[in-house]
Amino acid sequence: MTVPALCAKAVSKRFGRINALDDVDFVLEKGEVHALLGVNGAGKSTFIKILSGVYVKDKGVIEVDGREIDCHNPKDAIRCGIATVQQHPELVADFTGYENIFLGRESARASFLSGIDRSVLKRRGDELLSRFPVEIDLSRRIEDMSAVEREIIAILQAIAGDHIRILILDEPTSTLTEVEKEVLFRLMNTLRASGISILYITHRLEEVMEIADRFSVFRGGRMISTMTPQQVRDKNLSLAELMLGETLGAVFPEKAEPAQLGELVLDVRNLRHQRLFSNVSFQLRRGEILGVFGLVGSGIDELSKVLYGALATDAGSVELNGREVSPKSPAEALKAGIFLVPGDRRVEGLSLQQSSIFNITLANLGRASSFAGFLKRSANRRKSEEFAARVTLSPANVTMPVSGFSGGNQQKIVVAKGLFADADVYIFVEPTVGVDIGARAKLYGLMRELAKTSGVIVMSTDCDEAHGISDRAFALYKGRQVVPVDRVFTRNELLMAGIMGDATHA
Amino acid sequence: MPRHGILPAGTARLLAFAALVFILGAAFTAVEPRFLSTQNISAVTRHMAANGLAALGLTLVVIVRKFDLSFAGTACFSAMTIGYMIAGGHDLWLCIMVGVLAAAVVGAFNGMAISYFGLPDIVTTIATGSIAGGLAFLYSQGRTIFQNFVTSGILDLNDARLFGYSVSFFFLIALYAVAWVFMHRTRYGASFYATGENPVSAYFSGVPVRTYTMMAFVICAVTSVFAVVLILAESGTADTNKGATLLMPAYAGVFLGAALLGGTSVLATLAGTLLITMLLDGFSLLGVPYYYSDGVVSAILLTGVVLFDARVRQLFSDLASFIQPVTSASEKRS
Repeated sequence: MTVPALCAKAVSKRFGRINALDDVDFVLEKGEVHALLGVNGAGKSTFIKILSGVYVKDKGVIEVDGREIDCHNPKDAIRCGIATVQQHPELVADFTGYENIFLGRESARASFLSGIDRSVLKRRGDELLSRFPVEIDLSRRIEDMSAVEREIIAILQAIAGDHIRILILDEPTSTLTEVEKEVLFRLMNTLRASGISILYITHRLEEVMEIADRFSVFRGGRMISTMTPQQVRDKNLSLAELMLGETLGAVFPEKAEPAQLGELVLDVRNLRHQRLFSNVSFQLRRGEILGVFGLVGSGIDELSKVLYGALATDAGSVELNGREVSPKSPAEALKAGIFLVPGDRRVEGLSLQQSSIFNITLANLGRASSFAGFLKRSANRRKSEEFAARVTLSPANVTMPVSGFSGGNQQKIVVAKGLFADADVYIFVEPTVGVDIGARAKLYGLMRELAKTSGVIVMSTDCDEAHGISDRAFALYKGRQVVPVDRVFTRNELLMAGIMGDATHA
Repeated sequence: MPRHGILPAGTARLLAFAALVFILGAAFTAVEPRFLSTQNISAVTRHMAANGLAALGLTLVVIVRKFDLSFAGTACFSAMTIGYMIAGGHDLWLCIMVGVLAAAVVGAFNGMAISYFGLPDIVTTIATGSIAGGLAFLYSQGRTIFQNFVTSGILDLNDARLFGYSVSFFFLIALYAVAWVFMHRTRYGASFYATGENPVSAYFSGVPVRTYTMMAFVICAVTSVFAVVLILAESGTADTNKGATLLMPAYAGVFLGAALLGGTSVLATLAGTLLITMLLDGFSLLGVPYYYSDGVVSAILLTGVVLFDARVRQLFSDLASFIQPVTSASEKRS
């Protein structure tokens, strides 16, 4: 038996209380294209970041060519023969293809006085390119190149070191068209033939069927199984079945009864923001939770910020309680009655060194102060304690800096801030990132409680969440709204709508 | 756990500060008994008024996490404006008003450039500061202005006494009291703190962060004029570098106070200013040349900044827990 190119044994990684990676065993053979599948948070990104030296593993062994390696930074990984191309490759936009490929390597042989010898760069670049069945003019600058050309430049840059044996590609096809994808696949096939192993993250099963020799499925920080495309054909498995597994149904509260639905509170028509999303229309009633599912870059983050006034509306209209609103800033949105629980609570939601009272009252200082702006200190403290109890803040201390709370409890403080702001529409973005499962259930319960008196929108890159918490949901795929016809999406349909742009594959 | 707070930090820190004042006072008195004389204490309070006023406005700028290096130049410009007006025989209060207005314009320009146009604070304020400092020369081609100073009444601001102390000291205390209420008991103060600590979350909470950043620069320019008026009153003349001496004591006061009391606040700045003024006064009483005492104050400023830096304090606490593993600090977040 030959030695595999890469072998991981019982690799684990924790972030605080979250088990991002749990006892992962994984084998990458020499000269194979191996795909990694899994929903967001499944652990595949953490896994490749450990392989490429961005994160350091907590436990386990990683072997390359049978020798154990210990990478503490990306340089170590490259020395061990592992090169990585990120999802959005970092190329220098106003350098040419040649210059980018050999960036940081120009003076490998020459002394620093001789500068960059362009003719040598050109010869070596052409030499490298000639090994592959693709045609690119490397003398053009990166900013004039198409998405696939940039991807290829990034790959050439990664393998320019001759000793690279393993290439990691993080969602290389997410921005490519069908034709461009074929070019990339040709390049991958040539690399495979030359003995380089490729580890390749994707969301699309049909690509796996086309290009991969084997694939592994990640779910909840574990490697669930490794299979070949042939096995999928034989057993007629669907991608959703592979990626989702069991539901976490128990975490989510009961859905609303039709009788609980109140009046129309938000009516959004044909909303557009630049080229990030367009023609988004939906209605929201009091008493219901609307789910929005979309991958990173699908436009959900921008959609939430347009509704909240932090980004401009380029087209379309928003009606709140029957009156047209177009908030120019979060201050105006808050005044109109919209509250955003932002995706990155540490950056966008909280003043970490300040107390809970400070944070809870911040979004509605008018309510927190009386004549001439004097803060109603005892009333604010009382209200904060009341809301802290309602969101079951633990520890129930409203005067200590919020940096001392866990992720889940920090999120509860942002919800308490929303309660104090007293809005008609609450928008949650990625509400449970970095929140452990117990606090998660509590947060979902809080959303349901908020929905009793107001409208709630939950936007998430986690399909289970967007589907499980909501009464109905739609997906955003590359800025295009995908809605169900005449009924609500099933979980699998929502997943397909979000990652393929089409619900009918489910 | 870092303890910057909207409230002045705990009693322990206040006691430590009091002890420091006591030790410093005792040390100076031991070397030079005149340190405790009525005359010297009166001088300390007067100088503290000028230093404290300049530091007060700077406190707001530091709270919104910016730097203003222009207020000394702005103060020079305002000093010459006021001097020119006094020489022209105008009413004293009108002269001061015009000086304040001139500084407010410079402060507003700083604020606009930095908060609305996103220019870097340090570079911008160095530039506006030197422009303002240059404009100060225009009134008299750089010559000292002293005409009408005796008759204008400005000297009374220095000489007037209340309970044996300079009126300016009571003005300082009164202004600090107002500032304390404003910064720590009203929604506006909360907004200043929110703007500084996390402008993104403040913006998402509906706080007009740009307005608050701009206001901090305007207030900083205005209080530096208050300070320079006291300097004019003391010397009885206006010349083009009257405000230049304000820069270092103000920064030292703000950052030393923050280091002592665990966060930038109105009270911390007052405490820092008291210490700095005692030091400067003690040195001049001992006959230490100003270039040495400036060096000492600057060294103290540097120490204050280092102590105020959360990373440095983290380093110290790491070191402490390394030396004494038994008391290992609470689990650090990843």
